Amino acid sequence: MRMFVLSPSKMSMFSVDWLAGLLALLVLAVAPWLFASGYVIGVMTVALCFGIWAASWDFMSGLTGRENFGHSLFIGAGAYTAGFLNVNFAVNPWWSLLAAPVVAAVFSLAVGFPTLRLRGPYFALAMLSGAAVMQNLTIIFSRYTGGQDGLNGLDPIVDSTLGYYYLTLVLLAAITLVLKLIAASPWGIILRAIRGDEASCQAAGINVTFYKIASLTISAACAGLGGALYAHYQLQVGPDLFAVVLSINIIIMVYVGGIGTIYGPVGGAILLNVLTESLRVFSEYRLWMYTLLLVFILFFMPQGLIAPLWWRLRRRLSP
Amino acid sequence: MTALLEVDRLNKRFGGLHAVKDVSFALEPGSITGVLGPNGAGKTTLFNLLTGFLSPDTGAVHFDGHPLTGLKPHRIVNRGLARTFQLARPFLGMTVLENVEVACLAPSVRHAGHPRARAQRWLGEVGLGDKSGWPVDVLPYGDLRRLEIARALATRPKLLLLDEPFAGLGSREVEPLAALIRALHHSEGLTILIIEHKLREFMQLVEQVIAMDFGEIIAIDTPAAIVRHARVVEAYMGKAELTLRHNEPTGAGDGIA
Amino acid sequence: MVQILVYGAVISAIYAMLAVGFTLIFGVARILNLAHGSFYALGAYLVYTFTANANLPLWAACLIAVPLVGAFGVAVERILVRPLRRSMLAVLLITLAVALMVEQVLLLIFGSEARNVPSLVDATYHFAGVDISAQRLLALGGGVTILAGLWLFMQHTRLGSAILAVAQDAEAAQYMGIPSDRIYSLVMGLSAAIAAAAGILVAPFQTVIPSMGLLPLVKAFAIVVVGGLGSIPGSIVGALLLGYSETIVAFEVSIEWSQIVSVAAVFATLVIRPSGFFGKRASF
Repeated sequence: MRMFVLSPSKMSMFSVDWLAGLLALLVLAVAPWLFASGYVIGVMTVALCFGIWAASWDFMSGLTGRENFGHSLFIGAGAYTAGFLNVNFAVNPWWSLLAAPVVAAVFSLAVGFPTLRLRGPYFALAMLSGAAVMQNLTIIFSRYTGGQDGLNGLDPIVDSTLGYYYLTLVLLAAITLVLKLIAASPWGIILRAIRGDEASCQAAGINVTFYKIASLTISAACAGLGGALYAHYQLQVGPDLFAVVLSINIIIMVYVGGIGTIYGPVGGAILLNVLTESLRVFSEYRLWMYTLLLVFILFFMPQGLIAPLWWRLRRRLSP
Repeated sequence: MTALLEVDRLNKRFGGLHAVKDVSFALEPGSITGVLGPNGAGKTTLFNLLTGFLSPDTGAVHFDGHPLTGLKPHRIVNRGLARTFQLARPFLGMTVLENVEVACLAPSVRHAGHPRARAQRWLGEVGLGDKSGWPVDVLPYGDLRRLEIARALATRPKLLLLDEPFAGLGSREVEPLAALIRALHHSEGLTILIIEHKLREFMQLVEQVIAMDFGEIIAIDTPAAIVRHARVVEAYMGKAELTLRHNEPTGAGDGIA
Repeated sequence: MVQILVYGAVISAIYAMLAVGFTLIFGVARILNLAHGSFYALGAYLVYTFTANANLPLWAACLIAVPLVGAFGVAVERILVRPLRRSMLAVLLITLAVALMVEQVLLLIFGSEARNVPSLVDATYHFAGVDISAQRLLALGGGVTILAGLWLFMQHTRLGSAILAVAQDAEAAQYMGIPSDRIYSLVMGLSAAIAAAAGILVAPFQTVIPSMGLLPLVKAFAIVVVGGLGSIPGSIVGALLLGYSETIVAFEVSIEWSQIVSVAAVFATLVIRPSGFFGKRASF
């Protein structure tokens, strides 16, 4: 989809962006006190994990246009790393936050290099099949991975529900900030140029391979970190974390949020998670509504919901 | 004076097609040379071989004394050899300024000063200074050609390869672009190699012409001599005479204002 | 050994039907139709409804179900896919939405219990020491017949040539007076009908549940990638390769390892030769 992605040359409004981001962070920080229910905080924690996954997806796929349909590969890699370390080797769960991104990054190199020359649906499909292969391998080698049942009995990184929420929030904020800063830097310009035309990028003296691999690796590391956070929260990991449906859900959240903006997908993730939980009442119809929402957005809002809303609001705020 | 570019028996086959056949030539620094030939003569393939987008079957290319064969395109650019494409390929979804800014971020020029300011300067040099904030998607074709040149210049090349810079331009747009190329040749001290079809403007721009046909070089000479060269005429127009005789080029340097 | 031969053939034939329909719609209309599995499931469920609830004779049910699903395919293309055609990703997501919707509808109406669809033939044959149900043989025979019929249609009718023309170059075909848009709808309907037929043929011996279309879709996808997106002979070869590889692995190693064959084949093909065995070398 050809879209005019927000360019850094609109920097005059930059300070308003920062303010809004800070405000959103504040709202998320006080949210638990407003709802004071362990259940809601739990839902929000999961939503924030999805936020990390959505932001990391957007960083690579949203900027370079190489849509990755196998993001779950990195999530599962991070989650299982956490599981292995904690359950099999009784390692302190804090170490997962360091190990998971590294392992996920290694996975990204393993799939990134072979798929370098692939574009569009071919790249999407290759990444998707990579994740599916991993999912199957996890089930096949059940002796080490626990097969369909996965690994159970992980320790939480932080014991309290509230504490875990804040840990996740801090990491989400940090990741979103870092990714947004990179996107606004020369790196961002180069990544968007790769989306524009790779051959011209080469002709401009840019090492396209480096940036393609690097953006995938950064995306993977963040997703892996989110995976570890999720694993230590749910206290279990299973092959479902490699599933295609997870990758697709994240992509939907990104589209709802506004592809290419990094912060939009975070909003999309939170919105959709909250929505699906609140629609739990309609259990069977929930998937209907989800799909209808997707159809609606595809037809009428190709730029998403959250980011365009923010742009409109910002225009009203600025003179 | 050692040649800036030395091409030594370059060969490239695509299956049964021998696209580039034993091509050898040299370019002196500061020269402006043209490559002439009918469609399918192997001109763009030659460019792709020189710039690393294709690798030769046999033969060697030396630039500034160093071998280029086997290097990836972006490395060749960073050595000082830039090119434009036959079909303009801008970075869609970005502004005109950003399109050039990308090139200012190439490793060889990255630290030469603020990228955005430099990009603005190059846009000014090619006459697009006031359109820097435009989305590149709405730029007319003639301006896209200028943008390509700005992008190539931003990498501060010693040798600039222009692949049919006048293609697709209306008659009114050709002269200003030719004037621009001539001006840049003088002001930046660039060595330039141009592929072109449009004979008149081309012949008035270049000092020397390399004529190609069926992948081979059939003649290397001044524009005036080339148009009289039997094989060149044959390649272009069968055995009829080139009508160019009546518009004899008066040599490069006679500028069009 | 004989069992592998026959089972492999049956699986290949069914996969081939799905793959061919899938590749047809991609080759002609550049649509990655994730709802393809839904057509498969709808065929089975419609026959079930007609026989169990409407008490129609089996042959009538089959004859009504197939064109009905075909019409559904046409409707999906005209209403949902055509407006979004400019973006492959959007089309992908919309067909995914259709697939999800169909599964939900089936779940709502029929529940998640497996349904029983009666066999068209009840006999069991004994062949070289192995029992093979006549229904499976019918599935094999039916599959081969349908594919042969499709091939004849494409090669020897004007409409078939029109479809091939649009597949090669839609714009040029339009200049020749071929209505590309209508061809897209037709091809979608055709591939939907073939998928439905496949679903009907296997329904007696496969589990009929709302999500029955998912796994075959994955396999069809894999075959199409391996054989070459847009190539019908590629799909048939791919179906044979994959069908037999899976059967052999399932018999000799384990069921779990056989599941990985198709996805691993997709990844390997894309990395080594993205256009597949028979596909044209397009830019990737």
